[in-house]
Formats: sequence, structure tokens, C-alpha cells
Amino acid sequence: MVEKKRKSRDGRPPKFNKKSKFSNRFNKKSGTRTDEKRRTGPRLPQSLRKELDRFNPNDQHSSEEEEEEGVNNDVYEYEEGVPEEESKKNRRFDTVENYEYELPEDFKDENVDSDDDDDHDFDGGENKIAGRNGKKGGLDQLGDDVEDEDEDVERHLRMLQGITGMPSQAFEGPKKNKVVVSEGYPESEYNPTRDILDGDGRVAIEDLLESLQGKPGYRELRNITRHVDKKGKLLQAPLAKEDRDRLERKAAYEQSKKDITKWEPLVKRNREAPTIIFDKDTDLGFSTVGAIASEFEPRTEFEKKMSSLVHDDKVMAAHKEDGSRLLELNKVSLEDYINNQNHIAKMRGLLFRHEVKMKRVKKIKSKTYHRLLKKDRLKGSVGMPMDAEEAKELAMKQEFKRAEERMTLRHKNQSKWAQRIVKRGLDVQDEGTRAAMAEQLHQHALLTRKMNSMKDSSSSDDSSDEEHSENAGGSDQDEASMLLAKARVKTQQALEEDDEVPDSGVLALPFMKRALKKKKEAADEEGRLAIQEFELSLKQTEDTDGAENSKKGAVSGRRVFGASKMQVVEPKSKIRSSSISSDSEAELEAEEDIDVGFSRTDDMQKNINVSSVLLDVDANIPQDSVLKISEIVRERGPKTTYEVSMLQSDTWKKQMSSSANEVDTNGKRSRKVAEPVTHNQDIELEEVGEDSDSDSEGQMVDGILSLGNKSSYKLPSQAELIREAFAGDDVQEEFSKDKEEIMNEENPEPEKPVQLPGWGQWTRVQKKKGLPSRVLEEHKNAERKREEALRKRKDAHLKNVIISEKLDKKAEKLLTGTLPYPFTSKEVFEQSFRMPIGPEFNPATAVRALNRPEVVKKQGLIIKPINYEDVDPHERGEENRGRGQKQGQKQRINRSRGRVKAVVAKS
Amino acid sequence: MVREGNLENPKDDDDEEGLNLRNIKLSGQMGAKQENGDPENILPPLEQELSHELDTKVKKYLRGEGANLEVLKDKKLKGQLSVREDLYGISAKAAAKAEKWLMPSEGGYLEAEGIEKTWRIKQDAISREVGISSAKNQYDIVLPDFGPYTLDFTPSGRYMAAAGRKGHLAVVDMKNMSLIKELQVRETVRDVVFLHNELFFAAAQKKYPYIYNRDGVEIHCLKEHGVVTRLQFLKNHFLLVSINKNGQLRYQDVTMGEMIGNLRTGLGRTDVMQTNPFNGVVALGHSRGIVSMWKPTSAVPLVKMLCHPGPITAMAFHPNGHLMATSGKEKKIKIWDLRKFEVLQTLPGHAKTLDFSQKGLLAAGTGSFVHVLGDFSGSRNYSRYMGHSIVKGYQIGKVAFRPYEDVLGIGHSMGWSSILIPGAGEPNFDTWLANPFETTKQRREKEIHSLLDKLPPETIMLDPSKIGTLKSAKKKDKPTKKEMEAEMEAAVLAAKGTAIKKKTKGKNKPSKIAVKKKEKVERAKRPFLDQQMKEEENVAKKKQKIGEEISLPTALQRFARKKATA
Repeated sequence: MVEKKRKSRDGRPPKFNKKSKFSNRFNKKSGTRTDEKRRTGPRLPQSLRKELDRFNPNDQHSSEEEEEEGVNNDVYEYEEGVPEEESKKNRRFDTVENYEYELPEDFKDENVDSDDDDDHDFDGGENKIAGRNGKKGGLDQLGDDVEDEDEDVERHLRMLQGITGMPSQAFEGPKKNKVVVSEGYPESEYNPTRDILDGDGRVAIEDLLESLQGKPGYRELRNITRHVDKKGKLLQAPLAKEDRDRLERKAAYEQSKKDITKWEPLVKRNREAPTIIFDKDTDLGFSTVGAIASEFEPRTEFEKKMSSLVHDDKVMAAHKEDGSRLLELNKVSLEDYINNQNHIAKMRGLLFRHEVKMKRVKKIKSKTYHRLLKKDRLKGSVGMPMDAEEAKELAMKQEFKRAEERMTLRHKNQSKWAQRIVKRGLDVQDEGTRAAMAEQLHQHALLTRKMNSMKDSSSSDDSSDEEHSENAGGSDQDEASMLLAKARVKTQQALEEDDEVPDSGVLALPFMKRALKKKKEAADEEGRLAIQEFELSLKQTEDTDGAENSKKGAVSGRRVFGASKMQVVEPKSKIRSSSISSDSEAELEAEEDIDVGFSRTDDMQKNINVSSVLLDVDANIPQDSVLKISEIVRERGPKTTYEVSMLQSDTWKKQMSSSANEVDTNGKRSRKVAEPVTHNQDIELEEVGEDSDSDSEGQMVDGILSLGNKSSYKLPSQAELIREAFAGDDVQEEFSKDKEEIMNEENPEPEKPVQLPGWGQWTRVQKKKGLPSRVLEEHKNAERKREEALRKRKDAHLKNVIISEKLDKKAEKLLTGTLPYPFTSKEVFEQSFRMPIGPEFNPATAVRALNRPEVVKKQGLIIKPINYEDVDPHERGEENRGRGQKQGQKQRINRSRGRVKAVVAKS
Repeated sequence: MVREGNLENPKDDDDEEGLNLRNIKLSGQMGAKQENGDPENILPPLEQELSHELDTKVKKYLRGEGANLEVLKDKKLKGQLSVREDLYGISAKAAAKAEKWLMPSEGGYLEAEGIEKTWRIKQDAISREVGISSAKNQYDIVLPDFGPYTLDFTPSGRYMAAAGRKGHLAVVDMKNMSLIKELQVRETVRDVVFLHNELFFAAAQKKYPYIYNRDGVEIHCLKEHGVVTRLQFLKNHFLLVSINKNGQLRYQDVTMGEMIGNLRTGLGRTDVMQTNPFNGVVALGHSRGIVSMWKPTSAVPLVKMLCHPGPITAMAFHPNGHLMATSGKEKKIKIWDLRKFEVLQTLPGHAKTLDFSQKGLLAAGTGSFVHVLGDFSGSRNYSRYMGHSIVKGYQIGKVAFRPYEDVLGIGHSMGWSSILIPGAGEPNFDTWLANPFETTKQRREKEIHSLLDKLPPETIMLDPSKIGTLKSAKKKDKPTKKEMEAEMEAAVLAAKGTAIKKKTKGKNKPSKIAVKKKEKVERAKRPFLDQQMKEEENVAKKKQKIGEEISLPTALQRFARKKATA
């Protein structure tokens, strides 16, 4: 309907999609010519097109989005509100005002045109005005619009009747429908009112809330939303993890930098000190066992207990006064004594029997037996509770294996063997091979599984914790119930897990088991009581809670079920258990509660994780400080394991050594306390000299000489005179010649490049090329170099001096080849040794300071790590040295001397 | 042989008074005054003066300025060096303070008043003013038969060796004026020199130099040296240096007897030789007016300088090593600065012999007259200080100042004389260095010490303070291109010349042999070619560098590509 009139005007086929429709609209404003260019599509006869147009709205109805629009178009013919709304809704087009404004014009045109082509111009103008009015308040004109619409529809129907000859009823269906749709939608979130649509069209929380009014929980929600509104704060999205980490690192770095910077002046002082003297402590450490003992501080509980006994006032007083009182305090009852003796005897007996057994076993020569035994032992040790270090080591190993597997994927059917089998087809293989493959894959799965999944029980704990936290987050729930449930589960676990009975050693013996059983029974009794208590209190809390309780109950129930399930599993594991323990277990089962029985055999099922579980239990239980009972249980657990390991000779030794190590390390730590530093020329002279030579006799005969003069002066010989006379003739010339020679020798003149006669010439006709430029350049360079060298000579400006520049290879060894390490400047280096430091050149007071070694320390002195002290970074020199560990000055020497003297005086 | 004179009676030795003429002020009335300023009267200015004096002294003991530590980037080194400098300062200050006590006496000098001139003051005038012990240092020994005499003093100034040309050798203890030993070698003796102490002396005789001990026993005849004209002894290096009539300079180590150096000067016969006490460099004066300086380890002279247009007659070195005095036959005395090799002063006058005293006085002897030049202004401006003429007709052969005494010994054709020159000697002696009152034990001790501290001959160089410093990054003696080519050719020839083994199994085919030969030649050439290539590369790099440096204006240089090579 909408497109019809355009088609009739342009004589072009319409486009059925919305986009083309809109583009057409835009073009209309600018003119129809441009329009023509863009219109493409199949040319259809007018009538057909009309028909198609008529059905178009129906087509549009098919898509949900457009339904509304179509409906509105039909109902509110003269309104522009529809496209506007549409554009808002799906935001496929720019929300530019102009377009929105002009849109209605098109719209109406189309509508009008669809009916008769003649008056469309007219109508267009009308529609414009109407459109504007409609924009102001479309709803007021609703009535008129409807009337118009009705007329149109009637006309249309009539026309259709005329063409098709069918009754009007056949065409009425869709029309009715439309009318109903436009009018009859109730106002709801799906059918927003006009106000809402004219607004920014967003759905607010309040809108959503209204629908919930009266329903339970509405008040709460409203409160929350109000609270949010008041605060009016939007939560920012958290930073990316990388950014957060970076920030964190930055902060941490700043902190650590600050921490380290405070040491800077101290370190600087020590670095710059010529000498670091360690003489603060002449104490050479512990000299006696007593001294070491006095430093001892009890750490473990046992040690504390011991020290409390040893340092008991009574005992101390008794010890000081006399021995008799000590004896009194040391009274042991006869019964105790006998018991003790019996116990010892029993233990000895047990040990003896064990030894005998082991001897026998050792004698067995079967290798297979021993192999199996060893395997068993290894497995056993895996099952055995270990001390923390061992467990850690094992965990590390496991982790490494897992990582290795992840890296290599060794077990993922990638070996040659596996690949071949896969190639040949699995079905061809026999069962054994298939099993092996499966085993490998299983292994891979095991090894590549995440770390957490290895600790089954702990992970379940975690999940429960998570549940708890989730619940707490969801609404205000009672944490107490959660806690109680947890505690109960824990106690149950503890009840189950702590009672491991070793299948070897003394504790595996029947009477020991019986004794253990008794103890266990007592503990279990308590445990069960505790569980009952928990359940009671849990119920109470659940009552108060209300609706959510059922869930809780389910959780706890599931837990219980899990435990019972494990009990079911138990018999299987028992079959595997060794023959020694099986007898006693039968007994136990008869007597004991199933729980206990289960927990006993539990150790069979356990793998490495047991220890970790145990540890978990240990770590977790104290958190719920409510549970005393669990503490008791926990205490007992380790104890039994301890005893077991004590009796197992190997592990016992190990533990002893490890504990000894611990003691050692403790001792060391306490001991170390780690602290560680012209001349108006007298022409007279000439005159006088000459005078004296020639005429002045009286002057000559002065002095003390009173002796007669015997002249022994001989006239110089003829040759001498001649030589003298002609000596100075060409001396200068000769010398300069000499100098030149020497200079040429030391800096030889480069040879002039010459060409062989005939070289490079064919005939006389050919132009002489001369020497190649390369040779000429080389010569030039060499000459320049020589000149430079000559200019640099020391005697370059001294005409009458030749200073040899020949290198003396022998003297070369007295020079330093390269600048020694810390020095970077030649001048500084050469200045640094200008002063002799030997005793011949320096006063005795300074020699020592000049020659003091870098570190001065007494033999045997323990150098403690640097101690922090406040150092003024700007102070320099003496003050520095005078303090602390370092010095190098006379003052300090004197001081130390003084100190030594004082010591001497004391001793 | 020693005859009369005031030499014979060694009177009282008042050692405390010292052997120096101290602070003699010869005024117009010729009254000697002992300078005794009373410090109480003028304390503040004196203190000031003292502090100033101390400063100058400290400067002396600091031995130069400290380096500029601001250049250093290494803070640790900077800190350590500054601490070290502080220590040096403390040491120098302590030394300067101690100097007051260790060097109590000041040198004496003559001071003229009004129109008086110091060089007009006669020896008898001085003798009237000085003490008995100093006055006894004025004497003449007349030994007419064996002259002319040449003299040498031990470093301490206690002993003197005198050698008459006609074979008279004598060692005299100058302190108590006693003749220790004299002997007649009955042949020409041209020079005499003490070795490291008074126990030994060497004499350059007619054919060879000989070494005698104090008892006159000939210990060595050093035939290798030939006809020696002059002898010198380098006491720090234990080297006996001789120049023979063929112009050969020889260095012999007197400890092990090893000949350290035998250098041909190529400048003819000379009898002018002196050692520079500062660095041990031996200087020779030649007939062409050239002074050449030598060290035992180099065949060419360290320095050759044309000092005079005529033959050089005498030469002397200042104890600090910075000054040299030469005299030429053209009757000029020149004073040279050895640090710049420039003439400081040219004085008229002829000198047959020259000598510097410890305090820097220069004695020049010619004919029968001695004049002493002094530099009292401190500006290296030598002017006439004193003069003395001996009996006319006596020809002075040698002048030598006696160390640690204000005494000048004059060897002449009729024996030797001794006169007083106030301010010549160093008034304070260092017993570690030279002790005039040395006992036998001390002497022995010192001998051992000096032997232990003997310096190797390589340490003789123009500037010994260079020892330990960084080698100058100067040209390595690169072989020239021509030399390289010649070497390569030689190597190729050698490679071609090697005989080829006869082999079997088709390996002796001519083609194979040819290939092998070719390979050999290539192998021989390879190292040379490699070296050549490397050099070429270096040159190219340098060129490039220079080109870049030139091509870019300063404003654009920061955009230049940084070199990868650090």
C-alpha cells in the first residue's frame, strides 16, 4: 500500500525490502531524477505491481520487528511517528532531525498515491502540514485519522470488489485484524505507551518493577533499587588482569625500592671506606656447651613442655639447695614403674619378633619375592602418612610428571608403537593391545588433569565452601547453619580418616589393634555426640531460615550419602589388604561401628593424596574453632601415625634424623644471629773574566796561595788549534741534515709511485693515462700521514734538538698496557700513584694509614651482616670512619688502641 | 805525598757546629752575624709566616696536584681516591711539620751591603769570619810532579779521590783530613771515580780502566772498555759508564760484571761526559757542538742537541735534573732547560770545567780562575756570585763541589785546592741517603740496601716519572707495504722450494704435483693477504668515519646512525 503510489508515478517496480523504501524517500526530497538512476529491479506490469503492493504489508507482518510498524502505518495513516519510533528501536539509521522531519511527508504521499494518482500532489502538501501537527500531538487527531482511514479502506474494498468480483468479506479479514491490533493492545512492557516511545525509549528498572508489584520479595527489590538510585554510583568494570598485576607490581616495586634505598648511605660508606675494620666484637662465639644451651629456646610443644618442667621453680630451688629434695620430686610410683617396665619389655619383644621375621624374609632367596616385596613396600610407603617434606617432594615429583606429560604428550598414542597400531586399526588388535592403548590414554588423562582434581576430598571441601560463599552472596543467609554443616562433615571425615591402622609393624599386631580400637571407640563416641549436636543446632537454624533450608538439608544429606557410599566401597579394598591385617579386621568389623570399620580400611584406598587430605584436615579444623572434638580427633591422628613411623625401623631413623636436623638448624639459627664495612746579563762577568784572564795579576795572586808558581801550562798543539779554528763552520748545517735523516728514518718518506716504462701504453698515439688514481691517492695519504707525524714530534719546533721517538722495547715493560679496572681516566690513574707510600718517604704516623689493608679483622672473628644505622648521606670523611665498623684514620687507631689497653688492664 | 797545608792536622771535630757555613752575613764591616730572631716579639706575623711556610712545604711533600676527581663517574673509586688524597694531605702535613726538626739548619750565603759586591769578597776575608772547623777547609795542596789533578767525592762528601795525570791516585778522608791511601800506578790516569762507596774506585788509565779498593789493591782491569777518557758511576743502577777514545760508550754493571750497553756514539772522541743525577741519563759533549744523551738500552741517543757552534768543553747538570750548563770553545756558557730543551741563559765566558753544587751554584773553572754563579732570585737567572783565582799559571782541570759542605774542590795542574763557597752545600743531610758520619756498620748496611734497591738499566729514561704510567697508544711499528710484499715473496719462494715427496698410486702425476704446488703457494700467501685485507678494512672504516663526521652539520649529527661497535 505504501509503495503503490510511487510506482504509479515513476512507472517503476517497487522494492520490497525496507531499505530501498527508505532510500526512495530520501531521494524524493532532492528530486525524482536522481531517483531514476537508482531504481533497479524487475519491471512489472502496473496491475500486478498494485496487487503486490497490496499484499506487501502482509509480507511485512511476517517479520516480528516490522509488525508493529505495519500496523501503525495502517492505523495512523497521517503520522510520522511510526518511522521515528522504528528508527529509535532498531537504530539502523541515523537519527538526524531533518530526515525524521521529512519522513512523514513521504509516508503520506505513498499512502495517498496508493489510492488515486491524480491528486497526490495535493495530498502531499496536506500531509506535510498534518505531519507537523501530528508531531506535536498525534494522539488528539487520532479520531480523524481513523475516519480517513476508514474511508480509504472502504474505497479500496470497493475497488477490489470491482476488479476481482469477489465479495467484500474476503478482503475484510486483515483489515479487522489490524484494527484490533492497533486499538486493543494492553499497555505493558511489550506495548509501550506513546509517552514512553516519545521519550528516549529506554526501559528503566522501575518499569520492570511495576509488574512485580504485590509479589513476594518486591519490597526488597525496590529497596535495593532505591538504594542504588540514591548512591547513583556505577560500578566500574574491573581492570584487566594484566593491568592490575602491573599496577600491583609497580606498587610493590616502589615499596621495595624505598626499603632498599635506606641502605644506600650505609653501603656507600662501606664502599668508599679505604679500610673496613671489624673489631667491634671480640667475642668469638660460643665457647662452651653451656653457652650454647643457654641460648636455647624451646620451640615445639614438646620442648616447651620440657622446659617448663626443667625450669620449674620447685625443681630449680631443689636443685640449688640439696639433692634430697630432688629425689622427692622424682618419685615414681611402683605401679608406674612396673607398667613402664612391662611396656618396654613388650616393645622389645615385639621388636625382637619383628627382627626375627625380617631375618627370615631376608633369607628367602627368591628374587621375584623380593621384588614383589619391594614393590609392596613402595606402595605401602606411598600409602603411609609422610612428614611434610616428604609429601612436598612427592607432590613436586607428581607435578613435574604432569608438566612433562603436558609438554611431551607422551601417552597420547603418539609413540611409534601406538601410531602403528592406530594405523592398522584398533579392531584388528587383540584385547591386550587395546587394553594397553586404553591404559596409556588413561595415564595421559591422569597426568594432564589439573592439579586440584588430584585432591578429591579437598576439592569437595572447596566446592562446599564455594557453595557457602555463593549462598551468602545471594541473600542474607544464616552463616551459622553453613558453618555447622561444615563442621559436622569435617568431624565425620576426621572420624573416618584418622583411624588408619598400619598393616605392618607393631601396630598391626592384634593386641595393639585392640588397644587402638578401644581408644578409637571412645573418640568415635565423642565424635558422634558432636555430630548429633551439630545436627541439632543445624535444625534450629534451619527452622529460623525458612525457604532456603531445604537446599541446605540436601547438601548435608548428600554429604552423608557420600560417606555411606564410601563405606560400600570398602569391602573391595579390603580384599586387597594384606593377610596380616585381614584377621584382625574381621574381628573389628564384628565389634565396631561400620564407620570405624570403613575408616580403618580407608588407608588401602588412599594414594598419595591421603597425606594432603590429612594435612587439609589439620589445617581446616582449627578454623572452625567451635569444635573441640575435632581438635581432639586431629591430635590423635598424628599421634598414631607418629607411633607407627617410630616402629618402622627405616622411617623411624629418617624421622629421627630429620628431627635431629631440625634441632640442628634451630641451634644454628640461634647461634648464627646473622649480623654480619734573565737576566740583566751580567756583562761584567765577561769583562771581569776577560780582565782576569789577561791583566789582573794582583787579583790573581790573592788568597792563601803563597806558594811559588811553576807554570806547567802547555800551548795547545797545532792540530788542536786548527780544529778549534775551523770547528764551527758548518755545524749548523750538518746538524740539520742529521736531523732530517733521523726524521726520515723514524718516519720514512713514502715512495713515489712510478710506472714501468711502456706500461699502459700501446703506442705513442694513445693518450697517456698516467698512474691510477688509487695509487696516487695512497701516496698522498701516506705523505699526509708522515707530515702529521712530523708535526706531532716533540722536537718539531726545536731546530737544534733531535728527540728520538724510537720505542725502547725493554723500557716498555715498565709501562702499563691498559688502564686498570676501576679507572676510566688516564690522568686520574697517573695521579693516583704520584705519592710514594713507603716508610722511606712518609712520616711514621702516616705510613700505617697509607698501607692499611682493605679489611682488618681479628682471626676467628665472625663478621656479622651489616646492621642498619642512620647515616647522614652528606657527611663525609672522618666522621664516617669514626663510626661503626669502618675507619682508616688515626683517630680511630688511637681509639682502638685505647680500647685494647683497656682490655689489657681488665685482664 | 801529601805535603804541607792545613790539611795535616786534623784538629777537633766539633760535629755539632756542622761543617757548613751557616747564615754568614758579610756586612760592610765584614762582621759575621748569627741570625737569631727572637720569636716572642713578633708572634702574630711570625705565625702567619709559619703557616705560609708550612703551606709551601706541604705542597712540596704532596709531590704535585691531586687529580681532578670530578671527571670520575665511578663513585666508589671517587670516594676511595678522595680518602687517599686526604691521607696524602695528612702525610704531607706531618712531613712538613717534621721538617722543622729534621732540617734545622739553613744554608748560608754571602750578602753584600751598599756598593759591596759578593764576588769581590776574598777567601781570606771569609776565613776571618768563619769558625775554625770551616776555615780549615781552605787549603791548597801542591803536588807539582803528577798534575794536573782530577777529583771525585763520594755522595756523602766525606771522601775524595784525587788522580794526578801522571799516575798518582789518592783517597783522602775529608773530615779528619787524613790520607787513606795513595798509590802510583806509573801510567797516565785520565779520570777517577768512586763506585757505590769509598771502598772502591775506578781509574781510567792509559789503556784500560781499573778498579781498586780502598787499600789500593787492583781488583779489576776492565779491558773491554779500551782507552777510556772519562768515567762516571750511576750509583742507583750500579753502572760504571765509560767513554773511550773511539767514541764508544760502555755501561758495565759493577755488581755482576755484566756489560749492559756498548754504544757507538759515532760523533768522535770526547772527554766531556756527565750524568744527569735526576734520571741517570749520560750526556756527552762532542766536538761539533753537539750534546748527546744516552741510555744503555737504546743504540740511538735519546736527545741530540746542537748547543754550541764549536766544540763543547764542559758540561754540568743541576741536581734536580732540570738544568744543564754547557760551555763551548766559542767562549759562551749556556744554561739549558732540559724539560723544554731550550736555552735559558747564555753567559759569556769560557769554562774548561763546570759543576753544579747541591744548592744550585754553578762553578766554572778556566785557566787559573774560578767563578761561581748563583741563582738567588729563584728565576733561573744565573749571575756572578763569587770568584777565586789561584796562582797564575796553574791550569784548572776540574772543579767539584763537596756535597753537604760549602766547599769547592779545584783540581789543577799543581795539585788541588779547596775554597769556601757559602751556600753551596745542602746543610741538612739525610742519613738514609748519604751520611758523612757513617760508621762501618752503617756503611755495610747501606751497601746491602742499595744493592737490594738497585734499579734495572731500563729505568734510565728521560722522564723517569713516566714509569708505571699508561703506554701511549702510538703507532705500532707496522711494516711498510714494500716490506710486506718482500716478506710475502720470500714466503712464496720458500714454499716453492720445498721438495715434493714421491708418491705412488697415481699421486705423483704432474697434474697433481702442480695442484699441490699451487696450494702451497696459496697457503704461504694467505696470512699476508689476510693482514692486508684487514688493514684495508680498517682504512675504509676510518675514512667512512671521517666522512660522516665531516658531512653532517652539528645540528643534524644527533640524527646520525649510531655505531653498533661500542
